[in-house]
Amino acid sequence: MVWAFMLGLMLSAASVAQKPKLPYQQAGLTERQAAAYLLDRLAYGPRPGEIDRVVKMGLENWVEQQLQGAQPESPELTARLQKMPALALTPAELTQKYPPAPRVRNEAIQAGVISKEDKGDTDKKAYRQKIIQFGMSKGYRPGRELVNQLVGQKILRAVYGNNQLSEVMTDFWFNHFNVSLTDNQCRLQILSYERDAIRPNVLGTFRGLLGATAKHPAMLLYLDNAQSTAAMDARTSLDDKMDGLPPKAQAQAKQRAEQFKKRQKQRGVNENYARELMELHTLGVDGGYTQKDVQEVARVLTGWTVNPEVVGRKLPQLERAKKVGAVIDGGFLFRPDAHDSAAKVVLGRTFPAGGGLQEGEQVLDMLASHPSTAKFVTHKLACWFVQDTPPPALEKRLASTFQATRGDIKAVMRQLVYSPEFWSAEARRGKIKSPFELAVSSLRALDADVSPTRDLYDWITDMGEPLYSYQAPTGFPDGSSSWVNTGLLLTRMNFGLSLASKQVNGVKFDLARLNGGKEPADVNQALEVYSRLLLPERDTKSVVKLLAPKVNDPAFAQKIAEADNAKPQEPTMTDDEEGPRQRPKRKLGPVEPVAQVVGIILGSPEFQRQ
Amino acid sequence: MWSRRAFLKAGAVGMFSLTLGGTPLFLCRAANAATTRKPQTLVCIFQRGAMDGLMAVTPFSDPNLKTLRPRIAMSATDVIDLDGHFGLHPGFRNLAPLFKSHQLAIVHGMGSPDTTRSHFDAQDYMETGTPGRKGTRSGWLNRAAGLMGHDHTPFSAVALTSAMPRSLYGDFPALAVSDLASFGVQEMPAGGSGSVSAGQSLEALYNNTTQDLLKGTGKESFTAVKQLSKEAVRSYRPANGAVYPAGQLGQSLKQIAYLIKSGLGIEVAFTESAGWDTHVNQGTGQGTFFQRAQELGNSIAAFWTDLGSYQDHVALMTMTEFGRTCGENGSGGTDHGRGSCCFILGTTVKGGQVYGQVPTLARENLEDQRDLPVTTDFRAVFSEVASKHLKVPAGEQLFPGYNGSRLTLMT
Repeated sequence: MVWAFMLGLMLSAASVAQKPKLPYQQAGLTERQAAAYLLDRLAYGPRPGEIDRVVKMGLENWVEQQLQGAQPESPELTARLQKMPALALTPAELTQKYPPAPRVRNEAIQAGVISKEDKGDTDKKAYRQKIIQFGMSKGYRPGRELVNQLVGQKILRAVYGNNQLSEVMTDFWFNHFNVSLTDNQCRLQILSYERDAIRPNVLGTFRGLLGATAKHPAMLLYLDNAQSTAAMDARTSLDDKMDGLPPKAQAQAKQRAEQFKKRQKQRGVNENYARELMELHTLGVDGGYTQKDVQEVARVLTGWTVNPEVVGRKLPQLERAKKVGAVIDGGFLFRPDAHDSAAKVVLGRTFPAGGGLQEGEQVLDMLASHPSTAKFVTHKLACWFVQDTPPPALEKRLASTFQATRGDIKAVMRQLVYSPEFWSAEARRGKIKSPFELAVSSLRALDADVSPTRDLYDWITDMGEPLYSYQAPTGFPDGSSSWVNTGLLLTRMNFGLSLASKQVNGVKFDLARLNGGKEPADVNQALEVYSRLLLPERDTKSVVKLLAPKVNDPAFAQKIAEADNAKPQEPTMTDDEEGPRQRPKRKLGPVEPVAQVVGIILGSPEFQRQ
Repeated sequence: MWSRRAFLKAGAVGMFSLTLGGTPLFLCRAANAATTRKPQTLVCIFQRGAMDGLMAVTPFSDPNLKTLRPRIAMSATDVIDLDGHFGLHPGFRNLAPLFKSHQLAIVHGMGSPDTTRSHFDAQDYMETGTPGRKGTRSGWLNRAAGLMGHDHTPFSAVALTSAMPRSLYGDFPALAVSDLASFGVQEMPAGGSGSVSAGQSLEALYNNTTQDLLKGTGKESFTAVKQLSKEAVRSYRPANGAVYPAGQLGQSLKQIAYLIKSGLGIEVAFTESAGWDTHVNQGTGQGTFFQRAQELGNSIAAFWTDLGSYQDHVALMTMTEFGRTCGENGSGGTDHGRGSCCFILGTTVKGGQVYGQVPTLARENLEDQRDLPVTTDFRAVFSEVASKHLKVPAGEQLFPGYNGSRLTLMT
């Protein structure tokens, strides 16, 4: 442990003392191969010319730059993001602008636009039109637009972002602290969740992430802590507060509190968040807690709820509530009247009665610094960045560094990349890209001009990764076998073929430009040129050898000569904003032979590997 | 239709001529298994939105009903009398003969011990089979498929849905496909004879990759594509004059029937029926509920007719996340409640009976004085069906944390 701490210090002081080298030479890699590998693992794959850039600036410098995550963003990214107004809205504005359909309907009824009995049975179209018109007059936008912008920004940042490691880490941490669009209660808060709770902390401290997610409305709603209150007969922080009042005021306050309590439909502790907090976010399922600990942590977190203003409701008597101990912090609200104020015991430590909000913070501190958390979280990082079953020695070192640096994510990641295990033959190319990684790395390899569309999103969904929509709090399982099964593998191949034939809506690229404007002289050359361009610094000999006889068909070669006449089909799908989406029939039109070669390379097993 | 054996033989021969390696393991095992038995298949239909169990199967002789539901109560003359007390909604008319022939059982008052009225949570709990616990990684149907202990084929566990349902999340390889006819590698026509076959090229590449998982799965995928000929899927004609409704559900069940008859080793099938959240104007003998019921009832009945002699190897079960309020609301509909009912169909089902307890609907008998009480834990039913039909152990591995009894309704 001391040893690991020293190593951590040495690494962080690296810029002062002698610069450590990434141990790729020991693993038998050239500098260019190492750069390509770094771009596959810490970024979303190389764009044309990117390996040269990384080599030029020095691999170690590039890694450090990515760990800092402070590169100014490229104009090609910022220009695209500016077209997405939802990205800048506050949580309250998001709720206001994208109301769920039933709410718009209710408001339309209240405004007398439609009658309460009317359900559109007679004329569904006219009925819907009335509601849409009403919504537009109020400045509302369809929820689909919000989802499109949420997913769109993720794709664009991954394709064009200069802080690539930050993007990969955002994907990782969102998945670790998963919330889901499938949950209607929290779906409007997810954009803010990623932007405000996850993104600023991805290379910061684990405790920072834990606190930000714990208090964000999306998580509070998704795992039900928002509705978790002290049991009906339990003593609350408000009761404590009222005891200190002069007798007359006390009697009044108690009467008010009693009335309020009666008006509430349900009271009681909900254990969902407390359990997942320990099982999935910190200690891990075998991290050494009991069902009793779950119950106790749930009591600690009673009263941790959502600021009603964020979800479009007024907060009555805010000033009075603050006087008796209510705390507002952005979308978070601590309610003293819902917080169980009696003593608790968590993992053997006693929290005396009356701890209030601070008690919850202390429990988060305790969980964040627990050795089981260090082990569990670094294990997940090693699985994600190194290999599906990471070597125990590496895991041990990462966990020690996590402990010694109090969950400094940069320090852990730095150590990971400088570990020989990261560069081992078993780790390299062992991992299979997730569908998102596959899609984005294809777009980057093609140097594509991307305007995110529903079509791209649907492809990623069909390959098995519905973005922001994994229903369970576990997040998508990480591991090659969860991304590769019979149906999903075929869809991956079809994605490559469709993309190359320009049948993915919103994606443009120029294969000739990719090759410096040169047309390959023959099909063999096409094969060699494009395997090298799309799979840089990889052994593509076997790909070429296997495919050469198939593309060497004389009739096929003839087609190369006629390539100029072949026109790519224009996409025809329109991005419908309302109603259930009709997916376009995916049928490929005639394509140039070079595109065929590219499609096969993108669908090849080599391109699936990271 | 081919016989399973003949089909597998043909498939295996095709394999040898097309791949460089040997026959995949699963195919050998499946071919061996085929000589002894057809696989048992469990088909589950999730009714999203929470079906009003009291309208589906109405205790028409209960006088409280008319008071609770002045506008939408089903009377004795509106329903199909099942046993003098319960009546089947006319939308389910085509299921009545199956009840009468003792193949169809109904469990009433079924639901979850967790009292949530959130669709999301209740569906999650029912699909994971762990009420009150959200972190369960796998779905119960995935666990059931895994517990059968057979080598999987690409079609062992299939959801006819566009996204993988929570019920099938888990370690056992499951396939989610909304249309079987879209299963395969697209060809890229470059105009006639000049085109490279993308499928053949990719097959060669996957056969030669050094990554074992990609190699193995690739092999399986290309075999599956050959087995599942698009032409056969498209030209499939249901047997025995069965006519499936045109909607999504009917087409899904038709494809499930195709998979069962094709001998592709399907053991667990999942599909869903939407639109049961009837808050407004749910109607009685006509209207929203009727339309949903008719689509579901006619789809199931068509599926059963189509199966013919395959019926002996298939059980079908419906499920819904909760029931609805006993009383109607101000909009001629019902709100989120607790207990609902489900249908179980199969030749080994002890049918012709309404299982479970439905008390007289006096307010004091209702849960929270408004909802049909949950008198049968859904796991008591699911574990019965899984253990009797799929022959899997019904213990904690299937439903972690459940040690309640099973409701005996199959032989």
